[in-house]
Amino acid sequence: MDRKSVMKRRLQSIVIIFVSMAIFIVIWWALSIYFDLNYFPPPDVVFEAFFDSFVTPDPNLGITMGQNIEASFARFLEGFALAFVIAIPLGLLMGFMPWVDTFAKPIVELIRPIPPIAWVPFFFVAFGSFWNPVLTVFIGVFFPLLTNVVLGVKSVDPSLLDAARTQGAGRLTLFTKVIMPFSVPYLMTGVTIGMGVGWMCIVAAEWIAAVGGGVGYYILVQQQVGNYPYMFAGMIVIAILGLLTVTLSGYAEKMIRKRMGML
Amino acid sequence: MILTIENLIKSFPKKEGVMVAIQDFNLEVKEGEFVCILGPSGCGKTTLLRIIAGLESITSGKLLLKDKPIIGPGSDRGMVFQEFALFPWRSVRKNVEFGLEIKKVPPTERAAISERFIELVGLKGFENYHPNQLSGGMKQRVGIARALANDPALLLMDEPFGALDAQTRNLMQKELLRIWLETQKTVIFITHSVDEACYLADRIVVMTSRPGTIKEIFNVTIPRPRDRASVEFAQLRKTILAELEREVVSAPIARDNSEANV
Ligand SMILES: Nc1ncnc2c1ncn2[C@@H]1O[C@H](COP(=O)(O)OP(=O)(O)OP(=O)(O)O)[C@@H](O)[C@H]1O
Ligand SMILES: [Mg+2]
Repeated sequence: MDRKSVMKRRLQSIVIIFVSMAIFIVIWWALSIYFDLNYFPPPDVVFEAFFDSFVTPDPNLGITMGQNIEASFARFLEGFALAFVIAIPLGLLMGFMPWVDTFAKPIVELIRPIPPIAWVPFFFVAFGSFWNPVLTVFIGVFFPLLTNVVLGVKSVDPSLLDAARTQGAGRLTLFTKVIMPFSVPYLMTGVTIGMGVGWMCIVAAEWIAAVGGGVGYYILVQQQVGNYPYMFAGMIVIAILGLLTVTLSGYAEKMIRKRMGML
Repeated sequence: MILTIENLIKSFPKKEGVMVAIQDFNLEVKEGEFVCILGPSGCGKTTLLRIIAGLESITSGKLLLKDKPIIGPGSDRGMVFQEFALFPWRSVRKNVEFGLEIKKVPPTERAAISERFIELVGLKGFENYHPNQLSGGMKQRVGIARALANDPALLLMDEPFGALDAQTRNLMQKELLRIWLETQKTVIFITHSVDEACYLADRIVVMTSRPGTIKEIFNVTIPRPRDRASVEFAQLRKTILAELEREVVSAPIARDNSEANV
C-alpha cells in the first residue's frame, strides 16, 4: 500500500470512530431522557460532574479526583511490581526446568481459577485496607505475567539454542543470553493483559475499604450518598485509566518487538 | 587427520525398538579439506553433522577431533544452519561476537575480531543491522562470520544455501570458496545439490538411503575456479547424479521396509 491510501484509510477510521462515539452518546442521552431516572443521568450532566470532580474536593472524602487517582495508581503500581518480581523468575524457571514446572503447576492451576475479586474479603481481614487492593492487583496481574513468561521460554526456537551451544554456551549462558532475551516480548504481552486486569482488581478491592481514597472507593461512596452523576464520573475515570495504560503498554510492546527485531 | 569417524552407528529410540539412522559410517577428513556430503532425503546427513557438532550423541563407534573424542558441543566446531539461526535481538556485530562474549574475550579484542570477519564475509557497513533487516544471503554471511569468529578447527554447514534463490546461491558458493581459501578452514558441507557439491568440494561423499552409510566417495580434481560449462564438470555431475538416482529409486523400498515396523 502506498502512503496516500494509508492516509486515506487512517482518515476513514478516524471518521468512523467519531461517528461511533456520537451514536453512543446519543443513545445514552435518549435512554436517560426516556427513563428519566435520577440514578441514570444524561451525558451532559455526567461530563459536568466529571470535570467538576477534578476541581472541587469531594465533600465526603475531602479530596479531589486527582488525589483519588493518585491513591489508586500507587496501589496499582505496587501490586504490579510485586507480581513482576515473583512471576518473572518463577516463569523463567518453570519454562526452563521441567521439574519446577511439574512442581509449581498444580498449585498455580489450583489458584488461577479463583477470581481476584474473590480474594478481597480474605485480604481485607488478613492484611488490612492498605495491602488489600495491592494484593488483589497482584493476584490479577500475576497469572497473565506467569503464563506469558512460561510461553516465551517454551517458544524459544530450538535452532537458536543449538547455535548458542555450538558457540560454546553452557546451561547458564543459554538461559541468560538466549532464553531470557527471547521471552521479553512475551513478557510484554503479559504486561499489557495485566494492565487491563489490574484496574478491575483495584476497583473491586477498594469497595471494601480504602484509606486515603481511591477511584473505586469514590464510585461506591457516590452511590451511597446518591450523587449519581459523580458515580458515573468515577466510572469514566476508570475507563480512561484502563484505556490509557493498556494502550501505552501495547505501544511499548510494539516498540520493544521492533527494537528486538522480533515482530 | 583432523576428523576421524570410525564404525559410527546412530539409532533413535522408537516406540518399539530402535530406528537406525546411520550405520557403519567411516570417514577421515584431512586438515584444510572441503568435503561435501550428498545423499537422499532422510538418510541421516543432518544427524551426522549434529553428531560432529556434539549436539547429538553417538550410539556406538569412534569419533575423534584431532585424536580427541568429541563429547559435546564446543566452539572448536563452528556450525552454519540452513535456517540461519541468528539471534534476532542482536545486531550483526553482536551476533558475530556471541561466542567471544562467552569466552570472555575483552571488548576491544572482540571488536577487532568481529570487524575482521564481518569484512571477510563482505558485510562491512552492516554491523549495526539486525537480522530481520537483511536478505537471506546476507543472513547466511552473518552465520558464516559467527561460526568463523571462534576460529574453529571445523566448519560444519548443513545445506547453508538451501533457503536461497539460485542466483544468490551461486554467488554465495563463490564467496564461500574465497573465504575458505583465505581462512584455510576444514569444511564439511551438506547439500542436496549435485551441482553445488561438484562446484565446491575436494571430495564428495555420497550416502545411501536410510540407514545412511557411505556409498561412494569421489575425489574432485578439477582445478578452481571451476567452470560449470566444462566437459569434466558435466561428466562428474552426470556420474554422481546417476549414482544418487539409483539410490533414490531404491530408497522407497528400503524406507518401506524400515518403517513397516513403526
Ligand atoms: N531427534 C530425532 N529423534 C528421532 N528420529 C530422528 C531424530 N532426528 C532425526 N531423526 C530421523 O533420522 C533420520 C535422518 O534424519 P536427518 O535429518 O539426519 O536426515 P537428512 O539426511 O538430513 O534429511 P534431509 O535431506 O531431508 O535434510 C530421519 O528418518 C529422521 O526422521
Ligand atoms: Mg537435513
